[in-house]
Amino acid sequence: MSAPTQSAGFDTGPRGYLRYFLAAFRKRLLLLLRYPVNTISQFGTILLVFFVVFYGGRAVAPTAISDSIEGIIVGYLLWSMSITAYSGLSWGVTREAQWGTLEQLFMSPFGFGPVMVVKMVVNVLESFLWGALTLLVMMTVTGHWLAVDPLTVVPLGALALAPAVGIGFFFGGLAIRFKRIENAFQLMQFFFIGLIAAPVAQYPLMKWLPLAQGSQLLQTAMKDGVALWNLPAGEVAVLVATAVGYLALGYAAFHYCQRWARREGVMGHY
Amino acid sequence: MSQATRRPNRSDTSSDGDPEAAGETVLAVDDLQKTYGDGDDAVHAVDGVTFAVDRGEVVGVLGPNGAGKTTTIKSILGLVVPTAGTVEIAGVNAQDDPRAVYQHVGAMLEGARNTYWRLTVAENLRFFAALGGRDPDAARDRHERLLQQFNLDDKADEPVNELSRGQKQKVSLAATLARGTDVVFLDEPTLGLDVEASVELRRELRRLADEEDITIVLSSHDMDVVESVCDRVVILSEGSVIADDPVEDLVGVFETHAYRVTVEGQVPSGVRTQLTDGYHTENWDVLEDRTRFDVTLADGDTLHGVLDVLQAADRQLLDVDGLEPDLEDVFLDVTDTAPGSDADEGGDAE
Repeated sequence: MSAPTQSAGFDTGPRGYLRYFLAAFRKRLLLLLRYPVNTISQFGTILLVFFVVFYGGRAVAPTAISDSIEGIIVGYLLWSMSITAYSGLSWGVTREAQWGTLEQLFMSPFGFGPVMVVKMVVNVLESFLWGALTLLVMMTVTGHWLAVDPLTVVPLGALALAPAVGIGFFFGGLAIRFKRIENAFQLMQFFFIGLIAAPVAQYPLMKWLPLAQGSQLLQTAMKDGVALWNLPAGEVAVLVATAVGYLALGYAAFHYCQRWARREGVMGHY
Repeated sequence: MSQATRRPNRSDTSSDGDPEAAGETVLAVDDLQKTYGDGDDAVHAVDGVTFAVDRGEVVGVLGPNGAGKTTTIKSILGLVVPTAGTVEIAGVNAQDDPRAVYQHVGAMLEGARNTYWRLTVAENLRFFAALGGRDPDAARDRHERLLQQFNLDDKADEPVNELSRGQKQKVSLAATLARGTDVVFLDEPTLGLDVEASVELRRELRRLADEEDITIVLSSHDMDVVESVCDRVVILSEGSVIADDPVEDLVGVFETHAYRVTVEGQVPSGVRTQLTDGYHTENWDVLEDRTRFDVTLADGDTLHGVLDVLQAADRQLLDVDGLEPDLEDVFLDVTDTAPGSDADEGGDAE
């Protein structure tokens, strides 16, 4: 049996991994730019839903909307970003299986998990791109300008999104194992609304639910202009714990499901 | 079509056991097993498959539907978790260190759908090079060479979805090779290709093995492809290896056992019955002044027995031709005579 002969040409260390991340990022960017109608309609859909909520709500209950518009903006921002990050994984896995590229990703010398982590990071970055644009449009349309300190909003946003990413991993794993579960994907969007709007102040235990604590702290930071370092340490700790916990659980479920799929011989089948 | 009845014996023709002839082994599959379910419902999709492949060798994995080809290949690649057995690629145990193995292995599975069709050809090569741990910039020259070799250099900047099926297939193969792999698995690489594209791809596969020492394991239902590209074939039936031989040896085992016999005049019915009862004869063709039939001899039979019968009946022998079997004949015969073979009852979960 021969020894490996081509290892010298490979770099699967941090530098190679960074190169792969850049390649995956570039691929996503190319597709966004190459298909502008698709990209614009994706963004347009996000805005359209907000316009329906805002203008529709103002027509039906102008006072209620006016009183809660800042909360709606922050909640909608987190919801739209969560959907982008979550669906990038769950739908992404489904599409890769359909294209026959899922096996190619699996057979990377970086390992399937790290490859999917890159996919996740690219999705989160994309969600921040759409989030920033959506926020700008929402604040312009409503005339309500919130505190957007990047040093506070970006880390809080990332931590707030982490549970959605974890759920994305979970459903991505289920998609690998059970295939056609698109209806469940769609159902999750509505659960996200409930989680983001969870009355954490009234029921403190709810802060341990995915997205709930992130939503709460983002509201505080953006509506009241509280900087990250001025937020109660205990509340931030809960946010970090839920972010890490749900992300880790989702990733573990994904790992388990892909191995389950390989045991059953259905990896990549669609 | 000849109907040979002798199953090739691995020891007849295989190079196993001849260390002088053996090359550098890059793939070793040992007692690979995959069972789905358990108890009475257990299905043995792969049942003790063992074979080895040398560097630069092209090996075809053949078998009827449900024989375990795809499960075997996917088990080797780690896409299916085997129940038992070991796979070593380039000296690395695939189960213990799959990431190290993936530095050497590429696969083109399920026809052309292995690339991103909305990316251009060149973008695909760059992406898959990076996915394989290579620097896409440093690999640019190699990618350009690949595109030239595959006659895709003028398509480099075109999205894959705008290419023909044959070109897409070649892009898939190029993307697999862009990772710098030296062992390539191809599942039905010519499926759906027109004749010209298929011939071009076959030529390219052969060149990769001959000139670049790339090891290729391919499964295909197209026997012409296998016969023209492969050095050796591993035939599976019911999840087990029933033949593992060089193509020419496998065909050679059969070629001396099927004959077309032509005798003068008509063969009396009693003689014909004697021949039909004693030998496997078919394609009887009674002409005005001669009679022609094909005879396939089983192990231990000789043509002399047939000729003796004809001589006893005072029939003058005009001609005896050996029927040249092709790989398809061999394949059909081997899988037909495999123990418990029945393609329709294949237990594979493919």
